[in-house]
Amino acid sequence: MVAASINAALGRAGLMLMLGGAVFGALAVLYGIRRRDAKLLRQSPRYAWLALAGIVLAVAMMQRALITRDFSLAYVQQVGSADTPVLFNVAAMWSALEGSILLWALVLTGFTGAVAWRFRRRTDDVLVGWALIVMFAVTAFFALLSFGPADPFAAGAPGVTSGPGPNPLLQNHILVLFHPPILYLGYVGFTVPFAFAIAALVTGRLGEGWLMETRRWALFSWAFLTIGILLGGWWSYEVLGWSGVWAWDPVENASLLPWLTGTAYIHSVLVQERRGMLRVWNLTLLVATFALTILGTFLTRSGVINSVHAFGDGPVGAWFLTFFAAIMIVSLGLIAWRGDRLRSPGAIDSPLSREGAFLANNVIFTVFAFVVLLGTIFPLLVEALDDRRTVVGAPYFDRLSMPIGLVLLFLMAVAPVLPWRKASTELLRDRLFWPAWLGAGALFVAVFAGATGWAPLVAFGLAGFAAGAALRQVVLATRRQGWRGLVGRANGGMIVHLGVIMIAVALASSNSFTHSATLPLAEGDVVEWGGHTFELASVTERVNDRGSESVLAANVILDGGRTYSPAITTYLNIGQAVGTPSVRTGLTKDVYLTLEAGAQAGDSEATIRAFVKPMILWLWLGGFVMAVGTLLAAFPGSRRRRATDPVSAPIDTTPDHASADPVEVGR
Amino acid sequence: MRAWNQRLKRWPGWAALLVVVVVVLAVGATRSTGPQTQEDRIDAIARRVACPVCDGESVYESRNNASVAIRNEITDLVRENRSSDDQIVGFIENRYGAEVLLVPRASGFDALVWVLPAVAFVAGVAGLAVAFQRWKLQAAATGAPTDADRALVDAARRADGAEP
Amino acid sequence: MSASPVGGAAVDDAAPDAPARRPLAPWIALAVAIVMTGLFVVLVDATPDEGGATTDSPLLGRPAPEAVGTLLDGRRFDLSQRKGSWVVLNFFRADCAPCIQEHPDLVEFVADQDQLGRDGAEFYSVVVNDTRADVEEFFAERGGDWPIVFEHDQIDVAFGVALVPETWIVDPNGIVRVRIISRVTNEDLNVTMQQLREATG
Repeated sequence: MVAASINAALGRAGLMLMLGGAVFGALAVLYGIRRRDAKLLRQSPRYAWLALAGIVLAVAMMQRALITRDFSLAYVQQVGSADTPVLFNVAAMWSALEGSILLWALVLTGFTGAVAWRFRRRTDDVLVGWALIVMFAVTAFFALLSFGPADPFAAGAPGVTSGPGPNPLLQNHILVLFHPPILYLGYVGFTVPFAFAIAALVTGRLGEGWLMETRRWALFSWAFLTIGILLGGWWSYEVLGWSGVWAWDPVENASLLPWLTGTAYIHSVLVQERRGMLRVWNLTLLVATFALTILGTFLTRSGVINSVHAFGDGPVGAWFLTFFAAIMIVSLGLIAWRGDRLRSPGAIDSPLSREGAFLANNVIFTVFAFVVLLGTIFPLLVEALDDRRTVVGAPYFDRLSMPIGLVLLFLMAVAPVLPWRKASTELLRDRLFWPAWLGAGALFVAVFAGATGWAPLVAFGLAGFAAGAALRQVVLATRRQGWRGLVGRANGGMIVHLGVIMIAVALASSNSFTHSATLPLAEGDVVEWGGHTFELASVTERVNDRGSESVLAANVILDGGRTYSPAITTYLNIGQAVGTPSVRTGLTKDVYLTLEAGAQAGDSEATIRAFVKPMILWLWLGGFVMAVGTLLAAFPGSRRRRATDPVSAPIDTTPDHASADPVEVGR
Repeated sequence: MRAWNQRLKRWPGWAALLVVVVVVLAVGATRSTGPQTQEDRIDAIARRVACPVCDGESVYESRNNASVAIRNEITDLVRENRSSDDQIVGFIENRYGAEVLLVPRASGFDALVWVLPAVAFVAGVAGLAVAFQRWKLQAAATGAPTDADRALVDAARRADGAEP
Repeated sequence: MSASPVGGAAVDDAAPDAPARRPLAPWIALAVAIVMTGLFVVLVDATPDEGGATTDSPLLGRPAPEAVGTLLDGRRFDLSQRKGSWVVLNFFRADCAPCIQEHPDLVEFVADQDQLGRDGAEFYSVVVNDTRADVEEFFAERGGDWPIVFEHDQIDVAFGVALVPETWIVDPNGIVRVRIISRVTNEDLNVTMQQLREATG
C-alpha cells in the first residue's frame, strides 16, 4: 500500500482539497450571508480557487497514472493498457465510471471557478452568494462521489502489470477525445443557470437581473450540449458500422432530455426578458434541465436500464437517485413557497404573437421531453407494475418524434415573423408570403429530385418555409444594420435555425431514403447497384505494429475511382471483433460500406454491405452552422435600449442589500 | 413594383401557392415509391426487432450471433415472399417472446406508452388555452388594453412614473 | 398586458396579495411532487440488471431447441438423443481469449464428471464459426478428448448465443437449466451441477 503510488496519494489529496474547498466555501458564504459579513463574502472566490486547484491536481495525477501505466491503481488496471496509443490513453480517463466522474468534477469546478471570477466584484450580493452556495454544494456532491462509490484512486489487485485498455470502440477514433469533454461542458454547464435560479428563489429576487447574468451561460452550455450530441452521432456513424447516427439508446436519450428542456428555456427566457413574464416557468425549466442531467446520469450509471453505452452499476446509482430527490425536494419546496409571489402580473394578449409562439414552442418541447423520458423509463414502469420485461426501441421514438418535429418546423417558420403582443392576419399574409413560396419551392425541388411519401415531403416543404422565415429576418436585419444584423439574440438565433433546418432535412432524407444491399463481390467482377459500381481489388489482413489489433479489410474500388476498405477489426487482447465502416462522403449522398463476416485474407471473394444514405453531410454542416449561430447570438446585439425594459424591479426582501442593481450590471 | 408586390401577396398569390403545394404534394406523395429492394424490407423489419441477448439494440444494429441469426431468419422469410412485414415480426415474436418487440403493442398496459404522450399534448394545449383565457379575463377586469391604452402605457413608462 | 401593474411592478409585486389571485404554485408543485414520488418509488424499486448481457434466456426452463450436427470425428450429434443424462454444451471458438483461458478448467471438469460414472454430465464443445484445422490444433495443443460438435445447423443460433464462450446445461429431460456467459471455472461448473442434481432429486 505504501507503494500504492504517489499518483494515488496526490490524487486523493487533490480530491480532498476540492471537497474541503467546496464544503467550507458553501459554509463560509452561508455564514457570511446570515451575518451580513461582507468581508467574509469577499473571500468566497478563494474557496473556488482551492477546489479548482484540488481537482486539477487530481486529474493531473490520474493522467500521470495513465500515461506512466501505474497499474497499482484499480482504475488503470481497468482501462489502461500497455499498448494504448498516447492520445487514447488520455481519453481512457473518461472511458469508465470513476474517471468520467472525475471529468465531470473538473468541468463543474471549472464552472464554479468561472462564476466566482465573473462575479468577484459582486460577492456581497446575496444572489451571487446563494448561487455560489448551490455551486459549492453540487461540487461537494461530486467530490464525495469520488471518495465513495466512484473512487478513481482505489488500489488495484497487486501484481497486475497490464490491463485490457479501454473498450476497443473507444480507441479507434479521434472523436472519442472530443465528444465526452464537449458533452460534459454542456451537461455540467447548466448547473450555473440552475444555481442562479435557486438563488433567485431563495432570495426572492426574481427580477430579470439574474436572467441577464445567466443567459449567456445557458446559451454556452446549450451550444456545447448540441455539439456534443452531434459529435456523438458522428462517432456512431463513423465507428459503429450500422450506418446510423442516432439509436435512441438510453444514454443518448439522457443527453437529449436536458437539451430539449434547455432549448425550451432559451426560447421562453426571451419572453421574460422582453415582457417580464413566465418567470416561474423559466425557473422550472432550468430546474428541470439540471434535474434531468442528474436523472439521466442515474439511469445510465446505475445499471437499471440496459444500454450498450452504459457503464458502471451499484452504489453510485443510489447516490445519484438521492441527489435527484434532494434537488426535486428543494426546488419544488422553493417554488411552492415563492411561486405565487413571483408570478408576473402581465398578460399575453394573443396566441398569435411572438410570445404565443414561444409558449407553443415550450409546450411542444416539453411534450417531446416527456415522450423521450417516458419511452426511456417505460421498461422500468412495466417491470414495476406489470412484472414483465419489455424494450421500447427506436421505432417508437421515431414514430412519435416525426409529428413533433413537423410541428416544430412549422413553428420555426411562423414564429420569427410574428411581432410581440399581437399579429394581424394582414401582417402574416404579408410577411409569410415569400417564406411560404420558398417552402413550396423546396417541396418542388424535393419532388423533382425523386422524394416520395407524405412525411418527408411535408418535412421538406416546412423546412423550406422555416428557412425562408429565418432568411427573411437575416436579410432584413443586415440590410438595416450591416454586419450587426448577424449578431445578437434574434439574428444569431435565425442562423441557429438555419442549422437546425439543415439537420432536419438531413434526418428526414436519410431516415426515409436510405437504401442498402448485401453485395457478394469477386475479384475482377464489377458489380453494379444503386447507381454505383463496386469492384473487389483484394482482401488483406494487417496486424498493427503493437500487435494489439488485426484489421481484415476488403479493398473495394468504388465507381472505378478511389479504393475504400471496409474492415473487421479484431482486438486481440480481448478477442472482440468490431466492424469498421468505410465511407465516401458527398454533398448529396454518402456511400457507406461495411464488410460482412466470413472473408479471409487472400480470398478473391468477399461480401460487403453497401448503404446509400442521402444528405448525411448536412447533419455535420448544420451542426457547424448552429455553433456559429450560437456564437453570433451570444454577442451583444444592437445597443439600442429596448422599448420595454424589464417590467419588474427586484422584490425587496433584503433591504440591506440594495447593492448593485442587477439589471444594469454586465450590460 | 411595391404596389404590385402588395397586390400579389393578397389572395391571388396565396391561392396560387395553395394550388402549387397541393398539386406537388399529391404528385410526390402518391406516386410509386419505386421498387423496394428486399434488403430495404429486411432492414425495415430488423429495426423493429430487439436483439434478445443484448441491451436494447435492434437486430439491425447489433452484430452478435443471435442477431445475425434472427436477421438470417428474416432474410429467409422475406425471400420466400409469402408473409407481410407484420406476420414476419409476429413469427419472430412467437419464437423469442414479446420482449423482442421494439415497438410496444397498443393494447394492455403497453398502450400507456402511446396514450400518455397524447394526454400530455392535450394537457399542454389545454393548459395554454386556460392560461390565455385567464389572461383575457384579467385584461378585461382591469380594462381591456386597446392600442390607445398601450400608447398611454408606453408614454407612462417612459415618464418612469408609477401609474396605478 | 394589464395597465395596472405596469411601472408600479415593484410596488405591486411586493404587495402581500394581489387581488383576485388564488395561490397556484403550491398546488402545481404538489402535483409535480406526487408524480415525482411515484417515479422515485419505481426507480428505487428497479433492480439493476446484473451487468450487460445477463445469464437470463427465454429458453431457461423450457425444452432445449433442436440441436443436430456432426462431430469432428464424423459421428452424428443430436441433443434430443441425449435425454436421460445431463448435457453440458460449451460454445467456443479457437481464437477467443476467454475460451483459451477456461480450457484447463474444462479439462478438469470433464475428468471430474467422468469419475461420477452414470451420474456425470456429458460434455460437448460446440464450434462457432471456426475452421477444422484451428479446432484440431486447439485441442491438440491444450488437451481434452471429449466430443466436439463441428458442423451443425446453427446450434449457437438456436440457443441465442451472444458471444463465445458460453456454457449451457440441459437436464436429463431435455429442459434447459443454466446459461453461463463468458469464462467458467471448474469449481463453478461442479457446484452448479451438484446444485442442479440436488434440486431435481
